[in-house]
Amino acid sequence: MNPWMQYLVWPLVKFLVAFVIVQVIVAAMNWIERRMLGFMQARLGPNRVGWHGLLQIIADPIKFLLKEDIVPANAEKVAYFLGPMLPLIPTFLVYCLIPFGPPPTFVAARVNVALILILALTSTGVYGIILGGWASNNKYSLMGGLRSAAQMVSYEVPFGLSIVGVLMLCGSLDLVKIVDYQATNIWNLFPQIVAGFIFFVSMNAENNRTPFDLPEAESELVAGYHTEYSAMKFAFFMLAEYSAMLVNCCLMVTLYFGGWTLAAFGHGLTSEVLGHWGWIGGLIGALIFFGKVMAFMMVYIWFRGTFPRFRFDQLMDLGWKWMIPLALANIFVTGLFVLAGQERLMYWIGFAAIGAVVFFMRPHKSAAAIPVEKRVHASRVSEA
Amino acid sequence: MQVEYPKPSWNDRFLLLDLFEGLRTTLRELFKPKVTIRYPEERLDPANRFRGMFRFSYDRCIACKLCAVACPIDIIYIDVHDEQREVDGKMKKLKVLDRYDIDVKRCMFCALCEEACPTKPKSIWLTTKTYELATHDRGDLYFNMQQLEYWEDRPRYDGLPEDEPPAALPGGNE
Amino acid sequence: MFDVHEMEVNFGPQHPSTHGVLRVLLKVDGERIIDAKPIIGYLHRGTEKLFENMAYPQCIPHTDRMDYVASATNNLGFVEAVEKLMGVTAQIPKRAQLMRVILSELQRISSHLLWLATHAIDIGAMTPFFYTFREREEILDLFETYCGARLTLNCMRIGGMPDDLPPGWLDDLEEFIGKFDAALDEYETLLTNNRIWKRRTVGIGVISPEEAIDWGITGPPLRGTGFEWDLRKAQPYECYRELQFDIPVGINGDTYDRYLVRMAEMRQSRRILEQCIPLIKATPAGDIKAKISRVIRPPEGEVYHSIESPKGELGYYIVSDGKGQNAYRCRVRPPSFVNLQALPAMAKGHLVADLVALIGTIDIVLGEVDR
Repeated sequence: MNPWMQYLVWPLVKFLVAFVIVQVIVAAMNWIERRMLGFMQARLGPNRVGWHGLLQIIADPIKFLLKEDIVPANAEKVAYFLGPMLPLIPTFLVYCLIPFGPPPTFVAARVNVALILILALTSTGVYGIILGGWASNNKYSLMGGLRSAAQMVSYEVPFGLSIVGVLMLCGSLDLVKIVDYQATNIWNLFPQIVAGFIFFVSMNAENNRTPFDLPEAESELVAGYHTEYSAMKFAFFMLAEYSAMLVNCCLMVTLYFGGWTLAAFGHGLTSEVLGHWGWIGGLIGALIFFGKVMAFMMVYIWFRGTFPRFRFDQLMDLGWKWMIPLALANIFVTGLFVLAGQERLMYWIGFAAIGAVVFFMRPHKSAAAIPVEKRVHASRVSEA
Repeated sequence: MQVEYPKPSWNDRFLLLDLFEGLRTTLRELFKPKVTIRYPEERLDPANRFRGMFRFSYDRCIACKLCAVACPIDIIYIDVHDEQREVDGKMKKLKVLDRYDIDVKRCMFCALCEEACPTKPKSIWLTTKTYELATHDRGDLYFNMQQLEYWEDRPRYDGLPEDEPPAALPGGNE
Repeated sequence: MFDVHEMEVNFGPQHPSTHGVLRVLLKVDGERIIDAKPIIGYLHRGTEKLFENMAYPQCIPHTDRMDYVASATNNLGFVEAVEKLMGVTAQIPKRAQLMRVILSELQRISSHLLWLATHAIDIGAMTPFFYTFREREEILDLFETYCGARLTLNCMRIGGMPDDLPPGWLDDLEEFIGKFDAALDEYETLLTNNRIWKRRTVGIGVISPEEAIDWGITGPPLRGTGFEWDLRKAQPYECYRELQFDIPVGINGDTYDRYLVRMAEMRQSRRILEQCIPLIKATPAGDIKAKISRVIRPPEGEVYHSIESPKGELGYYIVSDGKGQNAYRCRVRPPSFVNLQALPAMAKGHLVADLVALIGTIDIVLGEVDR
């Protein structure tokens, strides 16, 4: 292929396609989150704007575009304008690096050190929050911004440490090779269940989602670092948050849940099988990938609907005193197994843990559900 | 009786089962049918005794002013004058109601006026099952005698009796 | 005057979680609270002055609006105080007493459900809010079927009750009672065992029983410290003497104990309701008012009568001059007003994030604090 095509145009096209798809998903997440949260809370989410509220996805951006853009009087103008953009741009760059399907078509830029690059890029999101909080000329925003920055920085450490176990097993930083390793063995969740859990918790903390959403908690400091932002800048913060969520979910799926493959021990839909089927196989792989990613996004929403939030010092406690030692212990244990050459024995840890949880959560107690027929007021509804 | 602290077992603490329990509750709730009533397409029928907007009946009213006295906020304005009228061939002194206005925007719908009314059936009653009283102008919420009896623009529920008083309640209002 | 490390922050009257218009002036050192001064008065409506200008029966709708979350108990306190002043407490028929107890206990459950909703959402758990309001909706429907209003009930009169129960009301009540325990179990799965909830509430706002009595705290905050004092058992009114129920008390006096106490109180209220239903079915229908005149003119004198409202001891002090139909002075002892005094003592040393938990656990309603 023409080198211009191979190294410039074609990756750009792939990146743009991935970017568009991701933005569509991010926009849809707005609706999915509100609807699913509503359903979990015994109410309906938005359902008036379109068919089941789907036009809300369009109504919200229109609202953001048309709102008055208020800039506080004594705000530091440059930092104020720069604040929302800083978390957004590195997150978009990460979309080049994540493999959405079997290579070579579905990876915009296949880099050997993709994992480290991704970690570095997502870490720069902290700057935007600090700038945004400080530039708003508001005591509360400053406190919220500092808290959020401290939280994000301190959860970067377990985030990175939990990946080391995966790296020890797979032997490469290249995401494609990690996925292929999982296709030939089992999903990395099973040998590295502790690391998977730490990774998931750190992901939640990185994205400022419940139970770690103290910087955004409405009942505390109104809205934290984005209190003073209105209209499109606020939309940028929201976009940055959802994009980061999506990127982190993609990372989780790639590292622990097998990426675009549905295979174990070399049997099933591995990269070769999908590559054998040409572009249809690639598409199937991409669909599998996005299916898993959406499942994880819904788990985010599920957590938001269930748990109360941690207090800030408890959050930091959790990060420094529990997650980091656990991650280090995980590295140590994984190292022992790898040294002994018996990686496959680690699968039993995962099976045991998951089996124990499923066993203890089996529905054996009489946790009765309240049947709808027995509700007093629903029987008096009339059609007006 | 002392409250009991729940005692988590070792596997509760270690395997995070308490968190999973909460997750299971919300997951179950996700699939249950919802009890939301989609107003304004669906409406909840108020109960029979619901204290809504007033209805007034000029024919039954004997102009005794007990309702005005009973109102805690004094929003019932009554003017009465005496007249000699021919009833059954004899001249009797009757009270004629000149003005019976209610300032509905200050009303708290406590129904003390309805309780105080001595006629059977009552001349003023609040059980019209109407709670949608919003208007665009404050003046629209000052109802005079004619409006109280025949308000035109109120939303109508099908099957609701127009000029019937509420059904007699066991135990009685009197 | 100010130490260099302190910052004065206004937890303003407009805030999503101050349960009304409460302003708390915080002196913080970083995140630690050094002093928290509640400033009230934003909802003052002059209720006690209004009482001096209205006849006794006209005051009852105004008492609804003080603690607007639990209006039946407000009505009950006032009505019982006037009856005590007039000396007719013994003449209230049994059916009226049982109806009053049923309405009070339903109101207690409804108030505690609302407390749980707001407390949980302040701490971050959003879902119990909607679940509890779903159950509360059914209680409000029961109220609506009985007296016509859902929130400001105006459901008691001096000398008895305004109306008898509508047909089928007791069956609806039984149906509600039947599934209430399961609903409470559902809320408990989300909160009671949850380690995040426990971390947010255990050890926060500890008060010892002696301190609580010194401050004059009553209600669940007092019972959470371990001191067993409930006016329904200590100074029984209506027909609580014949009903069997327990008073839950806490162990440590922290927020978690107060949460458990209120959850247990809801279960005990359900127990009371269960006992009342057969008792009320045994009384003759229609016998709901004592034989007193419609015009209420109490003799000269003064009375203080208090009842156990969901928030604590709600007291009415009524002075009558014997001449007119109005009270000479009616003073209300609101439980939230007195309980709020303990906020600075409880908040010292905790973080700003705990302040919302504390305001929620004392369970204040600004309508009552400011009147």
